[in-house]
Amino acid sequence: MTQLIWDGLFVGSFYALIALGYSMVYGIIKLLNFAHGDIYMLGAFIGFALLTSMGGIPASLSLVALLGVLLVSMLLTGGVGVLIERLAYRPLRGAPRLAVLISAVGVSFSLEYGIAAIAGPNPRAYPVRLEGGVFQVLGARVSLPQIVLMLIAAGLMVALNFYIQKTSTGRAMRSIALDANASLLMGINVNAVITRTFFIGSALAGAAGVMAGAYYGKIDFLMGFIIGLKAFTAAVIGGIGNIKGAMLGGLVLGFVEAFGSQWFGGQWRDVFSFAVLILFLTLRPTGILGERVTERM
Amino acid sequence: MRIGTRKTILLGIGAAMVITTAGCSGGLLSSGSSDATSSGPVKLGMVVPLSGSSAPTGAYMKNGAQLAVDEINKAGGVLKGRKLELMVEDEACDAQQAVASANKVVSAGVVVSVGGYCSGATLPTLPIFQKANVPMIIPAANSQELVKQGLANVFLINGTGKQQSTTALAFMKKSGFATVALVDDNTSYSKDITTETQAQIEKDGSVKVLLNTSVTAGESDYSAVVGAIMAKNPALVYWTGYYQEGGLIINQLKKAGFTGKIMVADGSVDPSLAKIAGAGAEGVFATMTQTPDTIKGAEKWIANYKAKFNSDPGPYSTQAYDAVRVAAKAIEDAGSTKGADIIKALEAINGFSMFSGPLKFTPEHTLTSGGFVILVIKDGKFILNSVQP
Repeated sequence: MTQLIWDGLFVGSFYALIALGYSMVYGIIKLLNFAHGDIYMLGAFIGFALLTSMGGIPASLSLVALLGVLLVSMLLTGGVGVLIERLAYRPLRGAPRLAVLISAVGVSFSLEYGIAAIAGPNPRAYPVRLEGGVFQVLGARVSLPQIVLMLIAAGLMVALNFYIQKTSTGRAMRSIALDANASLLMGINVNAVITRTFFIGSALAGAAGVMAGAYYGKIDFLMGFIIGLKAFTAAVIGGIGNIKGAMLGGLVLGFVEAFGSQWFGGQWRDVFSFAVLILFLTLRPTGILGERVTERM
Repeated sequence: MRIGTRKTILLGIGAAMVITTAGCSGGLLSSGSSDATSSGPVKLGMVVPLSGSSAPTGAYMKNGAQLAVDEINKAGGVLKGRKLELMVEDEACDAQQAVASANKVVSAGVVVSVGGYCSGATLPTLPIFQKANVPMIIPAANSQELVKQGLANVFLINGTGKQQSTTALAFMKKSGFATVALVDDNTSYSKDITTETQAQIEKDGSVKVLLNTSVTAGESDYSAVVGAIMAKNPALVYWTGYYQEGGLIINQLKKAGFTGKIMVADGSVDPSLAKIAGAGAEGVFATMTQTPDTIKGAEKWIANYKAKFNSDPGPYSTQAYDAVRVAAKAIEDAGSTKGADIIKALEAINGFSMFSGPLKFTPEHTLTSGGFVILVIKDGKFILNSVQP
């Protein structure tokens, strides 16, 4: 039981990190950024390239090196996110929503097969693995790398929440989410804020990518597809456009999956998880926290 | 004005694309029913994964087949001096891509198909080759589903899922594994082996299946299935999917403190499995047909392969090599390139020497004996296990 909760919590924190980017972008410009899962993949590959170029890293320094690589990868994926917004979404700002959605699907495929062409279609084993002690907590097996990764994820989420709630840019984001035109009239540089949103969302996905590479040890160019869909699901469960909802939705999806496969067997896990999603949406279409009265972002 | 310019550019690009495409294919009308040609090279089609997660195996197969084609051409070709020509197209282990590629090789006028790796992607290509009356000698794909329909043009030269299950069960009994967990990835090939193994185990009665479950391929976290296995604590876990997920599951099982043994099926036999699984891969068993590394007396063949492609042969290099040789033999025996004649010649083959032993097809068009052996990972490499069933 405690094992299931811990497993759900751990997987859920990955979903949550990626769901945040989905939710932020949707909250601000009502775009389902389907390329978001591939930013996660890109982060894993950038981390792979950096770690490989560093050559042999002594095991004692691997955590430090990994943190450095994590930061650089976040900066780079953030930059790519900004570039994608500038090239593929901003020119379509006034276009029908469907056109932007298709543009996002196009970006997704371009990223996937671009990486496949550059890095090769074969899966790669990560040069640095997070290995560490395992101990029992209330009957659950908990490993040190899991704790480190969850602390990083939690730290990033707390920082993001602070940024959105307490800084002027955060306030600008929230106001654009409420009404973009009024924000423009109030003198907010809407384009600059949207750029920043894409940067933050993509950086978080990139961080999740590096973390997944280092923990699971295998990366490939399609690794962002399924987790992208799941993170999207998590964002919808939590109430899309709502930051705290995305975090909560990620954890909920992690739990539902862990318990679903325990109760019904592995082959029924996704059936169960998505049946829960359908049921949830029919009963509460706005998600857990996505009520109209709460402000988005 | 601006819109006008854009339109012109788009039109220009479109026109350029049409022109180049037409130039490549030589027009749409020239292809088609060229299977009754009586001169020029004899074309063999090979649809194997060249991209996607199984791309490395596709490359091994392509090279193996090319080696056979070159050897046969050097010895004078088939049908009084006609050369063999290999046409390789990508299957990507994806049904849609496989169908497109199968159509492509059929319309290019191939006489025999010598491809097929992922069973799930090979299945939908069967009717395409059948309608075009092209015999298929499938070197690797081995799901029971492929022969269930009883199509006259389908021949398997890899052992089937059923034969693999028999070997797996015999090994479990011999090594004294009393309890087992069967895990597949919900693909046609993988599910075929777990279903068949479970059926045989239940019939036999000396081993107990504690768990039969599936995972979703393409994910990174398999803690759910690992948790389920840990709860049952079987003596052996038999994973029948492909090596990417296999590597992750082995790694996560070992991290979770699993102390039992792990065995994988032939789809996971790839050098990358040990890399992904890390240190936990040592001692993992596999049910597999012989690879060049494990066949006695294959050193000369390996040396030829290395000299030609500057790399080591891998899984299914030998089967692809044999598929081409069987095709050439059948064409020669039939004395024609007509599908029906070649099928008759294939059915009549008796004792043709292959890596997996002398060839004689069963009425079902499968091998008489599967030729499966048990491999084990030692120092990150698959070698022949000392205990064989």
